[in-house]
Amino acid sequence: MQKNFKNMIDNNIAIKVDNVSKKFCKRLRYSIAYGLTDISKKILGISIESQKLRKNEFWALDDISFELKKGETLGIIGPNGAGKTTLLKLLSGIIMPDKGKIEVNGRVGALIELGAGFHPLLTGRENIYINGAILGMSKKEIDKKFDSIVDFADIGDFLDMPVKSYSSGMFVRLGFAVAIHSEPDILLIDEVLAVGDMNFRRKCYQRMLDLKKEKKTIVFVSHNLLLIKKLCQKSMLLDQGKMVFYDNTVLTVNNYISLQENRFSKEPLNGYRWGTGEAKIEYVKLSNIDNIVTDTFYNGENICITLGYNASKKIENPIFWICITDDEDNKISGTTTMQENVIIPYIMGKGEIKCIFKNISLCPGIYYIIAGIYGEDGEEPYDRFGRIAKFRIIEKTNQPLNPNFTGIFRPEVKWLTQDK
Amino acid sequence: MNYNQTKVYLPLSQQKINLFILWKQMFCELIKSREIIWRLFLRDFIAGYKQSLLGFLWVIIMPLIMVASFIFLNRSGILNIGKTEIPYPVFALVGLSIWQLFASGLVSCTNSIVTSGGLITKINFPKESLVFSSIAQSLLEFTIRIAFLVIVFIVFNVYPSWKIIFLPLILIPLLLFTLGLGFLFSLLNVVIRDIANFVSLFVTFLLFITPVLYPQPSSRLFVIINKFNLPGILTTSARDIVITGSIPQLTSFIYASTLCLFIFVICWTIFHIVEPIVAEKF
Repeated sequence: MQKNFKNMIDNNIAIKVDNVSKKFCKRLRYSIAYGLTDISKKILGISIESQKLRKNEFWALDDISFELKKGETLGIIGPNGAGKTTLLKLLSGIIMPDKGKIEVNGRVGALIELGAGFHPLLTGRENIYINGAILGMSKKEIDKKFDSIVDFADIGDFLDMPVKSYSSGMFVRLGFAVAIHSEPDILLIDEVLAVGDMNFRRKCYQRMLDLKKEKKTIVFVSHNLLLIKKLCQKSMLLDQGKMVFYDNTVLTVNNYISLQENRFSKEPLNGYRWGTGEAKIEYVKLSNIDNIVTDTFYNGENICITLGYNASKKIENPIFWICITDDEDNKISGTTTMQENVIIPYIMGKGEIKCIFKNISLCPGIYYIIAGIYGEDGEEPYDRFGRIAKFRIIEKTNQPLNPNFTGIFRPEVKWLTQDK
Repeated sequence: MNYNQTKVYLPLSQQKINLFILWKQMFCELIKSREIIWRLFLRDFIAGYKQSLLGFLWVIIMPLIMVASFIFLNRSGILNIGKTEIPYPVFALVGLSIWQLFASGLVSCTNSIVTSGGLITKINFPKESLVFSSIAQSLLEFTIRIAFLVIVFIVFNVYPSWKIIFLPLILIPLLLFTLGLGFLFSLLNVVIRDIANFVSLFVTFLLFITPVLYPQPSSRLFVIINKFNLPGILTTSARDIVITGSIPQLTSFIYASTLCLFIFVICWTIFHIVEPIVAEKF
């Protein structure tokens, strides 16, 4: 429920969140029962005990407090299910908190799902007016901005066709265009821009920068850490409903990465493996330049990978393959014995083979290894083992995790300055 | 609309309710959301018949079929409808058209919130507008039926009383009653989806115990039951105004109208209080 408090909070503050918690129910049956009791209690004027958890309930958000000044941009990051969207829904007033208090100062535009109000049978033109009205625009306002909306959405001839014939990209573009033209003072953006193509994303990004310049307040949820870093001064890290970290974006992103890394190191590798099985990789060992077994390397160090294999029959001219991948299984660097002109006449029984990646030049992060044994023809593997091992690259001089590097490749870099 | 206002969101349990402030708020919000109501109304109006062959004919087909089957049952001697002052088809069609305003209005109001679930969980907007636009839809269908009735009157060479001009006034209590129940059921329907089925069953049942498709019988049981049949009283009163120009059960009508006003205000208030927690109950 909205109540108007005049000048209750400092005019400079756009959003004030005080110890806000929100609970959800895990079971449908219970949520029906709770829904009914809540509604009837409310009607009868009996107070609802929203402070305590009932059976099968959990805190989707737990004791969140923060303040956002006008013109500030806040990023919200966190793993799936951290409560990011829930927080946005609370800020936009779609759902009410169970504890605490939220004060919002200004017209709010929430982009939680683009084109949420679109009717598939109606044309783009008709939907612009409907969606605009739902977002709080008057007909005059929409008339005035109509061309600009159509221009931004870039849907061309499709304007007068039913929305159901739109591609998902067009749908999202139109949704974003309408929402952004409702001229909110406070813009809440959920991870909605991921659908559009590159051009559109660039346009959205540009528009957000413009809004930033216009001193609009933006709350931005995204998994795109680079974008968050570019757009937001301050960021909040949510994890399992709790605010884990709230500070400068660079620091928050660092925290997020180390949180994800900690989870990773606890997670099993879940390697996938196939092959005829006539020869098998039995173990893999990573060691550093001093021959010490480790999984953490400094950037620039040598990585020595030892494969232990077992061939059940005599295999002539086998080819060994090792490849480094990132955490999305993109291959970064691979090598085979054949490529390096190493000829192995045959293998039989147990044995070991070593491969040294010299002066590894990678950005800090987690990397994985794929290994394989192939026959002469290099087609059907005897054994191919994805994610057989993983290792961590850290920076020698810098703080252990510095996500400010762009890209993956990081050779030794020197900057030279010269005065003229 | 003044957007530069501070909104405060509190847990429902901490919100204090002052009825007069609340009523003022509800009224202001209704005025503010007229644009949304209009757009939602247009949306349903355009979309509703876009992919249908017969389009708006459906609005008159249903009562036609209903009346035709009753005529058939009467002719074949299964039912004995009894004598009506004016030709039976006219009598039944007038009554049924008014009844449908209540019946289809209630059903569509009940479903209004649930069918817009995607919208409600994504955008914060006054949810009353969904219910109001549903009733507007039913009003439009009613108008179409009235236009059709004009043809029926001409065909049967029967003319309504001049007091038909009071019809809009007489219909107000029925509309308020429909809206009131619609508010309540649309909320409940969010939590328990059975409500929608229950409502459509309920209005069908009510139709058969209401003297709409047949003249008022004199059996004591029937009279007693229909003393409590609010939509029945309101519908027959409106029909009688059209056909005879008088309301035989005027006192009942006045009582029923007052009751409807109360039901409307209470249910709307309930709706407005509960509205903020609707989105999370989906």
